[in-house]
Amino acid sequence: MANSPPALILRTSTLAYLGVMVVLPLTALTTQAFEPGLARFGQAVTDPFAWHALKLTFATALVMVAINAVMGTATAWVLVRYDFPGKSIMNALIDLPFAVPTVVTGLMLVALYGPSSTLGTILGRHGWGIIYEQPGIVLALLFVTYPFVIRSVQPVLLEIDRGEEEAAATLGARPWTIFRRVTFPTLYPSILTGTALAFSRALGEFGSVVMVAGNRPLETKTGPMYVFGEIESGNRHGAMVVSAVLLASSLGILVTLNLIQRGRKV
Amino acid sequence: MRRDGRAISWVILSLVLASLGLSCDRGGTSAREDVLTLGAYSVVREVFHDGLIPEFARIWKTKTGRDLRFEESYNGSGAQARAIASGFDADIAVLSLDSDMELLVKAGVVKKDWNEGPDRGIVTNSLVVIGHRDRPDLPIHDWGDLTRPGVGVLYPDPKTSGGARWNIAAIWGAGLLSASRSTRDAEAARNLLARIQANVVIMDSSGRQSLSTFDRGIGDALVTYENELLLRRKYGKKPIPYVTPDATLRIESPVALVETSVDRHGNREVAQAFLAFLISMEGQKILASYGFRPVNPDAKLGDFPPIPARLFTIRDLGGWTQVKRTVFDQDGVWAKTFTDRAQGK
Repeated sequence: MANSPPALILRTSTLAYLGVMVVLPLTALTTQAFEPGLARFGQAVTDPFAWHALKLTFATALVMVAINAVMGTATAWVLVRYDFPGKSIMNALIDLPFAVPTVVTGLMLVALYGPSSTLGTILGRHGWGIIYEQPGIVLALLFVTYPFVIRSVQPVLLEIDRGEEEAAATLGARPWTIFRRVTFPTLYPSILTGTALAFSRALGEFGSVVMVAGNRPLETKTGPMYVFGEIESGNRHGAMVVSAVLLASSLGILVTLNLIQRGRKV
Repeated sequence: MRRDGRAISWVILSLVLASLGLSCDRGGTSAREDVLTLGAYSVVREVFHDGLIPEFARIWKTKTGRDLRFEESYNGSGAQARAIASGFDADIAVLSLDSDMELLVKAGVVKKDWNEGPDRGIVTNSLVVIGHRDRPDLPIHDWGDLTRPGVGVLYPDPKTSGGARWNIAAIWGAGLLSASRSTRDAEAARNLLARIQANVVIMDSSGRQSLSTFDRGIGDALVTYENELLLRRKYGKKPIPYVTPDATLRIESPVALVETSVDRHGNREVAQAFLAFLISMEGQKILASYGFRPVNPDAKLGDFPPIPARLFTIRDLGGWTQVKRTVFDQDGVWAKTFTDRAQGK
């Protein structure tokens, strides 16, 4: 059955589709980045502006991922384990950040926390800036990646056999021990999946970040913003190189994740 | 089951063919209509779309009896230049600065001698000015006022905005010419640029975006084109007070015929007529009413504040090629303001 003509055609065409839609553009990008040679590649990465943009992208993504891992798991926990009025509305709201155009996300955050907003004025009086500073970038990333951890933890939590937790409780384990020894080991692969997807997504985020970051080189210019600027000013190679680094990091994360999960199943 | 599948594939195939047929049919134009494609930078959108284009179409109709339809595209100057260079078939390119036009010369779509006419291919003039808040406690008169601690400055990112290049070149030039007219003090210029850049809060990707950021109440001063601020009056928006620094740069924006497109479309006559119209008295009058200073300084058009005492042009700074190299290249003065600051110099 698997080798019948229709199956074969379907398989070839989906593979070709993947090739044309994903693999081909990515290969073009990588070849162009490496075309002028490794030395030029290294030069372009260690350019102080490129290097800082990359560092900033990874740092903000890491902070975002740490917050998301905790808050996302907690949110999924609340959604699965408790019943309360408005729960279904809350459940529906969670996916909404995916539907908002990222530029609008940025605009919204500026309106809410920007220096001329009420909140921004109060914060500014204490010398704290969110928008047009690095915390603003984290805030934007948190918004656009909000559903990832929740949506990957939630189904696992639903499937979990409560009997194990109850058994642990009857054996005298304290709640914290139960969570640490029984629940968390089952949950952690899904938390990992969620955070890894969020991290990959954050590395490439442009639309919302460009609105809230202020775009100051060596301060608040992230990798994707650097890429945009270099393309616009005619430095294609610099742009390609930074993109290639972001791309390789994303790929690395996704492949590692895949290996970890495969290792678990075997 | 098989037959169903085959029927569906026939349906899909015919849909594909139909859509191909539709897209091929588009090119045709009726014989009684001329079409001009305009590839322009974003700042001139209002004056072209609302002012110049309707007026020229009217003139063309009375002169030739033929209808004239414009296809308009507005984008950042650099992005527009790259689009045209890589195949966007605009007949006329209106860009912010010469160096973007040079990109089209290099691509072989604009003639090498595009800027050798009497007007050097320039159709609009403006000045780099400083818009500011209406705050007596924060007086802003000159470039030096932008270096004071606590003054939030806005201008866009020169990586993406031609306007920002004009702005930064103005600051650089004012610094160069500050000491005296004879000696050019590069150190003073570097210092002025570094201190103003240190006060910049946000570098939006275009001049228009910087303007709307300023509108949202962010920043105390905005370096921008004079015509952008004059345009607000015309469109009934809240005026932004501005000062013209004593030493500032004249913004000269070029226009050129895109030879390859005009040849393909066979509309050289109307394209050339449009270029002539832009530089004509009627065209310049419309441009003036949208805040652009006339290219011919003797033409008394519009109601503009007096020209500042030490106005300079990009040629006084050695031309765009030179300014690009010293100021905007990867190891240029502008990039160095950041690396120096990061190293605590």
